[in-house]
Amino acid sequence: MEVRKENRNIRDNHRRLLAEKFELKRNLYKALVRDPTLPQEMRELHAYKLAKLPRNSSFTRVRNRCVFTGRPRGVYQLFRMSRLVFRSLASQGLLEGIRKASW
Amino acid sequence: MSGGGGGRLKQLLAVAVTKGVEEARARIFGHVLNPTGLRSPHKILRKKLFGEKVAQWYPHDITKDDPLNIDRREEKRLSKLEILKRRGKGPPKKGQGKGAVKRNKGK
Repeated sequence: MEVRKENRNIRDNHRRLLAEKFELKRNLYKALVRDPTLPQEMRELHAYKLAKLPRNSSFTRVRNRCVFTGRPRGVYQLFRMSRLVFRSLASQGLLEGIRKASW
Repeated sequence: MSGGGGGRLKQLLAVAVTKGVEEARARIFGHVLNPTGLRSPHKILRKKLFGEKVAQWYPHDITKDDPLNIDRREEKRLSKLEILKRRGKGPPKKGQGKGAVKRNKGK
């Protein structure tokens, strides 16, 4: 993998770890903001706290990238690799249980 | 008239019964009742946490775990630098680089 793409993957991994770390906190703040029975002040405070969480800890910033090439598009979730890598590996028979369809 | 009253009573009873049933159902299955349809934080809180799964997307690289492998790579890099230096392709001294020479010419 090129250095640039590898760094992209490292960055993405960093985001994933952050997202995992702050998931509970984020959900909690979000729930407190959404609760109409709480006083307005408290809700505003938690809205502020929610906004102050690290931006990279958001799940929308996470991108499913190819583990081998770092390709951001055309990545199969099940195999975590891009369609190109998947095709070459599958045709080499390195993926268990994957066969080219033919009928 | 009396039939109408009976109907009302029946209706009341039916409502009470269905309400009781709903409450009982909610208690048994751990649901949260929200009959008025108010905005509720429960929608977020009941979500499953999927962070762990997300964080495990990239597999752990074994080659970066082994100190021997890292040492070998470092050695390789140093030997390559040594070769370059011997050929006179190493890093220039301070003030001898391309940019530095240009800057001095300008002055």
